Amino acid sequence: MRKGMLRCVMVLCCGVIFASGCAKEELVKKEEPVAAPVAPAPKPAQPVAPREEVLPTQTVKEAPVPVKEEAVQEPAPISALEKIYFDFDSFTLSQASRDTLAKDAEILLKKLSGKIQIEGHCDERGSDEYNLALGEKRAKSAMNYLVTLGVPAERLSVISYGKEKPADPGHDEAAWAKNRRDEFVIVK
Amino acid sequence: MKKIFLILMLLAIIPVLLPAGESYLEVTAPGNRQLQLAVALPVPLSGGTNTGIAKDISDIFRFDMTLAGPFTVMATTPTDPKSGIRPGDFSFDSWKRAGADLLIKSGYTLSGSTLTIECRLYDVTRGQELAAKRYSGSITDMRRIAHTFSDEIMQVTTGERGPFTGKIAFVSKRTGNKEVYLMDYDGYNVQRLTRNGSINLNPDFSPSGKELIYTSYKKRNPDLYRRDIFSGIEARISAHRGINVTAAYAPDGNRIALAMSKDGNSEIYIINKDGRQLARLTNNSAIDVSPAWSPDGRQIAFVSDRLGKPQVFVMNADGSGVRRLTTSGAYNVSPRWSPKGDRIVYCRQMGGFQIFAINPDGSGDTQLTSQGSNEHPRWSPDGRYITFSSQRSGREAIYVMRADGSGQVMVSRGKGADSHPVWSPRW
Repeated sequence: MRKGMLRCVMVLCCGVIFASGCAKEELVKKEEPVAAPVAPAPKPAQPVAPREEVLPTQTVKEAPVPVKEEAVQEPAPISALEKIYFDFDSFTLSQASRDTLAKDAEILLKKLSGKIQIEGHCDERGSDEYNLALGEKRAKSAMNYLVTLGVPAERLSVISYGKEKPADPGHDEAAWAKNRRDEFVIVK
Repeated sequence: MKKIFLILMLLAIIPVLLPAGESYLEVTAPGNRQLQLAVALPVPLSGGTNTGIAKDISDIFRFDMTLAGPFTVMATTPTDPKSGIRPGDFSFDSWKRAGADLLIKSGYTLSGSTLTIECRLYDVTRGQELAAKRYSGSITDMRRIAHTFSDEIMQVTTGERGPFTGKIAFVSKRTGNKEVYLMDYDGYNVQRLTRNGSINLNPDFSPSGKELIYTSYKKRNPDLYRRDIFSGIEARISAHRGINVTAAYAPDGNRIALAMSKDGNSEIYIINKDGRQLARLTNNSAIDVSPAWSPDGRQIAFVSDRLGKPQVFVMNADGSGVRRLTTSGAYNVSPRWSPKGDRIVYCRQMGGFQIFAINPDGSGDTQLTSQGSNEHPRWSPDGRYITFSSQRSGREAIYVMRADGSGQVMVSRGKGADSHPVWSPRW
């Protein structure tokens, strides 16, 4: 893998400090004999044998080029549809959540048309990686329940944000309780 | 004293005798006396003194060697009446009297924007030179040059190169949303990679170090992207409905393990670099995420809540032979296998999170951090160090430490939360 770099930096590298002859002359040797019996005639200068040091400095210049990217527009939550909330590390619908979803289903069937995406969210205490999966389970819990209430499945989709989009930036139980939630947004 | 003498004697010989990669200094073994390492102030070899360059080079050596493990970097250095750096151009006496075992001497020449740095490592006791290198580059390459000699010092003293020229990719919220960045392992030269204004998560390097994979919400779904770091070319390689997250490059560089929910709930899959599915490894109603390859590519550690709460499990890379790894603690996540295969780091929730390391057979479970909340541990390519994120300062930032948990130090300096560090392979 260094070959590419090697090509780039040949110009920059130089590196050889000892010409092979002068190493011994430059050595300050006093206690050097201790090494002699151990190794079968190792040249004392061997560890610093002249070597071409390839300096991969060019990687620094190959600065990462950002791709032109458009900022993403996030859809706003639908205020008409109420959020639902969960216990820690749980995706089970509480009775309160079922009641809320019943009202939401009513609105979806009678007042709103179009497609809805259910966003599953978690509080900050769990691991962010695990929460990506947990948030999805929360969203799917709501989706499945809405379907049993008669909302066509093809109008519904889910997305998990894990703990990436807290509703409340606080770090206490009150904030966490608000963040373990499902929200509803309109999608095209 | 005899022991030291022996070690130093070995210092001189062993690099010749040992095959590459073998180490004779046990960096993490308790009871080993640390070698006293002095860093002489870099001197101008020709041209004028540049105190900025001299201080930077010296500081880089001191930082790298302090983290390194086998050394205690001496706080003060004796005044050396002769400032030469070549053997014979200075006397070891003052260094010996100060108690130094090893000495880094360096000199620099700045000519226009071309910087040349000559670096030499000496065994003070024996009065012998152990390494000598000259590096040339642009003045902007100064930090990389100094780290390169630090890596060389590790090679000479331990038989394995250091990882200090490596980069750390990480996620930062400094612009207000999570984007992927790249920096030197010690926090310098921060470069932003993504700028899509969305949420970008879980970067991982390809074994070549030239590509990163990460999950991004830029198309309104957590999809997996692969980006060539130096060209910036990006490809969306896994965009199934649902999550495409916690992806980890296989050691062979051809396959990627990740968690997807396309078949109903989060399961572990293996795909190739272009996103084609090769295998499904898990199949149950529980959450399965965060796969981590063993260095031989034969096993995968992962997180599952199949027994109620998230725990770390290990399976063969074909999904067979699932066994539970972590048995202490109610909530264990984020496993990462060490490059040598001997340890697995992970996080345990205990209030906040703490980093632990465990042997792949479940023995030797050891807590490595205790201050603040610490997450996302990832190994350096040589397995001697771990980078992680911590909230101990009140702001989430990137830290590095030795594999035994010692030497913890913050390296990222940005404002706004920095997390998910990953140490690059050697370039």
